[in-house]
Amino acid sequence: MKTQPYIEVDHVDKDFLLDNGEVYPVLRDIHLEIQKGEFVSLIGHSGCGKSTLLNILAGLEQPSRGGVLLEGRQVTDPGPDRMVVFQNYSLLPWLTVRENIALAVDEVLGSLPKAERKQIVEEHIRRVGLQGAADKRPAHLSGGMKQRVAIARALAIRPRVLLLDEPFGALDALTRGSLQEQLMEIAQAEQLTCVMVTHDVDEALLLSDRVVMLTNGPEARVGQILRIPFPRPRHRLEVVNHPEYYSLRGEMIYFLNQQKRARQKTLTRVAIAKGGLEKVNLAIGFVPLNDCAPLVVAQEKGLFQKHGLEQVTLVREPGWKTIWEGIRSGRLDAAVVVAGIPLASTLGVGGVPVPLVTSLTLSRGGSAITFGRRLLLQGVFSLWDLGNYLRQTPEAVPTLGVVHSASLHNFLLRHWLASGGVDPDRDVTLTMIPPLQMVARLKAGNIDGYCVDEPWNSRAVREGLGFIVTTTPEILPSHIEKVLTVRQDWAQSYPRTHVALVKALLEACHYCDQPQHRPQILEWLAQPQYVGAALEDLQPGWRGVLQRGTADESQVIVGFHQFANGRNTCPERLEHLWILTQMARWGLCAFPRNWVSVLEQVLDDKTYALAASDLGLPDRAHDRGALLFGDGSRFDGEDPIAYLESVAIGQEPKLQNYRLSEV
Amino acid sequence: MMTRSRLSSSPSSSTVSAAGLPLLRLQNVGKTYWTAAGPFVALENINLEVAAGEFVCIIGHSGCGKSTLINMVAGFSAPTSGSITLKGQPITAPGPDRMMVFQNYSLLPWLTAFENVYLVVDQVYPDKSPREKREIVQEHLELVGLAEAAHKRPKQLSGGMKQRVAIARALAVRPEVLLLDEPFGALDPITKEELQDELLAIWRDHRCTVLMITHDIDEALYLSDRVVMMTNGPAARIGEILTIPFERPRIRSRILEMPEFYELRHSALDFLYRRFAHVLD
Repeated sequence: MKTQPYIEVDHVDKDFLLDNGEVYPVLRDIHLEIQKGEFVSLIGHSGCGKSTLLNILAGLEQPSRGGVLLEGRQVTDPGPDRMVVFQNYSLLPWLTVRENIALAVDEVLGSLPKAERKQIVEEHIRRVGLQGAADKRPAHLSGGMKQRVAIARALAIRPRVLLLDEPFGALDALTRGSLQEQLMEIAQAEQLTCVMVTHDVDEALLLSDRVVMLTNGPEARVGQILRIPFPRPRHRLEVVNHPEYYSLRGEMIYFLNQQKRARQKTLTRVAIAKGGLEKVNLAIGFVPLNDCAPLVVAQEKGLFQKHGLEQVTLVREPGWKTIWEGIRSGRLDAAVVVAGIPLASTLGVGGVPVPLVTSLTLSRGGSAITFGRRLLLQGVFSLWDLGNYLRQTPEAVPTLGVVHSASLHNFLLRHWLASGGVDPDRDVTLTMIPPLQMVARLKAGNIDGYCVDEPWNSRAVREGLGFIVTTTPEILPSHIEKVLTVRQDWAQSYPRTHVALVKALLEACHYCDQPQHRPQILEWLAQPQYVGAALEDLQPGWRGVLQRGTADESQVIVGFHQFANGRNTCPERLEHLWILTQMARWGLCAFPRNWVSVLEQVLDDKTYALAASDLGLPDRAHDRGALLFGDGSRFDGEDPIAYLESVAIGQEPKLQNYRLSEV
Repeated sequence: MMTRSRLSSSPSSSTVSAAGLPLLRLQNVGKTYWTAAGPFVALENINLEVAAGEFVCIIGHSGCGKSTLINMVAGFSAPTSGSITLKGQPITAPGPDRMMVFQNYSLLPWLTAFENVYLVVDQVYPDKSPREKREIVQEHLELVGLAEAAHKRPKQLSGGMKQRVAIARALAVRPEVLLLDEPFGALDPITKEELQDELLAIWRDHRCTVLMITHDIDEALYLSDRVVMMTNGPAARIGEILTIPFERPRIRSRILEMPEFYELRHSALDFLYRRFAHVLD
């Protein structure tokens, strides 16, 4: 049986009736379930209706459709069980601190004996540390003190829910900090359920269990909800050192910036058809890493234009999560993504299933695992050393960063750890960090190592922060890395555009593999609109001559960065089947019983075949028989379920039939 | 949107002197107020040298004497000990070589944006012809993107626009030093970022020296060459100075990609929330 949430905001719409008789839609389809004792923040730009939502919770306004339930009872009017703290304090200026609080207590708790009421007032003055100012009037208090009075007054009548509308918005950024900590202590001690409107991302991260991000009005909706995993009690300086702090902060800033951009210019996503193509204006997303090279080449060499795609905009994204969101929401037409994303999105890993397809494999290899100095100082130079170290020091649980759950970085790092007897879910902590933040997190000591694309391993080596313990091609030679993806419905709407896109990028992949072109591509990658990293960090991986950081010599890694890889660019069943087994092995989702039809749907080799044969290239993947791993293991795809059952470390694999969308 | 070409080509008087002396120099500066309860030491032993063209932010909890400090540089009040010099000359009174922008804009409500700026230009350049003066006003309103709103009164302007008028007014008399007392504290986050970017662009083209008070660590890291962190009062002093190495022109999103940003942010957080945490009154 489903447990009843403490507060349920049930599909709330809110319209305002304007003076001219028109209806202004403020909120649309807001659905939230809040548990007892939870702290939830609402964040969004001014005018997005977040205060309106708070007022509806308070009972100060009525929803136009839907409703709010508190412990199963509908909220219809304001009540002392839900107290609101406003930005402007709302204290009565002619009353002292003590009198302001007493007024509320006498009003709501009038049935209690006078002595008890007096005691409640004194207790709450103490609670916010205002004993010394109890007899002062608001005019003699600082802004911070006034807001503490307002909080004490709200708490004194023992509400079940505290609603805060930008409570610290009028205070300077540093005074805000002290009050946040005080509010947090009180909320935790009293097990209060709190809903707070704010526009301060650090404030939301410090205080909340969940952050609800609202899109711009009119018709504001819940855009995204972030769960904040920091343990409590929280302290600011510990919280900012949590490995995920800046990824979460980055996600919020990114969301707000997206909304800001959307507000400044409503992007016309109208398809411009031309020259037999259904759409020649494309926005293509990428994460700035060495292996975005095919996109850069297609742009710089005019390959998009050559194939009729006249207006291609490359959109530089901070990480895989935002790319995923961009492609799913239709903000991006296409994207270069880590190889597991098309399958993960189609099967609904971490959200509603959105069917994607991939019609081109864009790169192979190109990543590495870096361990930081902290492990090095423990004598860990290899996987074998790591296993020994963890056995000898059971209390040590190193934290390692990976870029996305559906990336080969995650799967290969886990495979590698497991091959050395290290259980990636028990013996270490894996945490998701965007590629661009890895070095910063390692430097700050928030993580002990990571698996990431170049240039971020070479950067750590150059700065002396760590060493490359292995490269990913050493774990699985020529492993699939980045793929082109589009939404399935996009592919259906724009089939000729899709072929043209594959042609342009396929030519670019072949261009990237010619050694004589690599110096020029390196110059392009270094430009700020692409990767924008230092040449000395880009170069090692790009040339495949890496400094591992443990010895003086550079080491040549054969085939470190591959693109066309001897014409091996067609989506390959065997590789994606292995990805399906890994998603099941590590508990991302159940293994599909109908894996044949899942792969059939996601791997769009028909589009590939049309593009390749136009260019005079082989129109199918070559059969490589089996994936041969560096540790001697192999995957031949004959019986994936038996393979899953044969591996020693991993979660109990589940099986499931997935319902696929109609083509 | 903004015309800066004329400004950037104008001869600048704010270059470092041949000897390489700092433009602004605070030596052993202290400020004591005499109250009924006895002397109150606001600031003590402040030593700071600011080079011509430098962008310096001062950060500290409320009550740390930041405003007292910037008011003394403006010449609104005198230090009780030590000396403050601009190009070697002691500061004794306010002057057009040091213009201040306040958080609350301080515009005259009955004058239009144009008239607010004109008032100051008229005072500082009594010998210029009215046409020249009007041109200067126009040029600086354009600089902050307000040419279209020149005829509006403060009441008809948003907070961000009012602050743009205040900045135009300060810049119109070509100060050597622009003093900003928490100029963006009252603005919403989006407007705040826009104004920060405009300020940086103006500063880059105008090559003036900026001394700015803020409570916002991210703002300080984004804007300045150095961040001066103050200890808590009474008897506040400079606790530590962070040097910000990011190349210019700066791109906000790129700074978030740099490991140094996080180190600097942590030093500032550690200073302000641990080593010199604010004690609730």
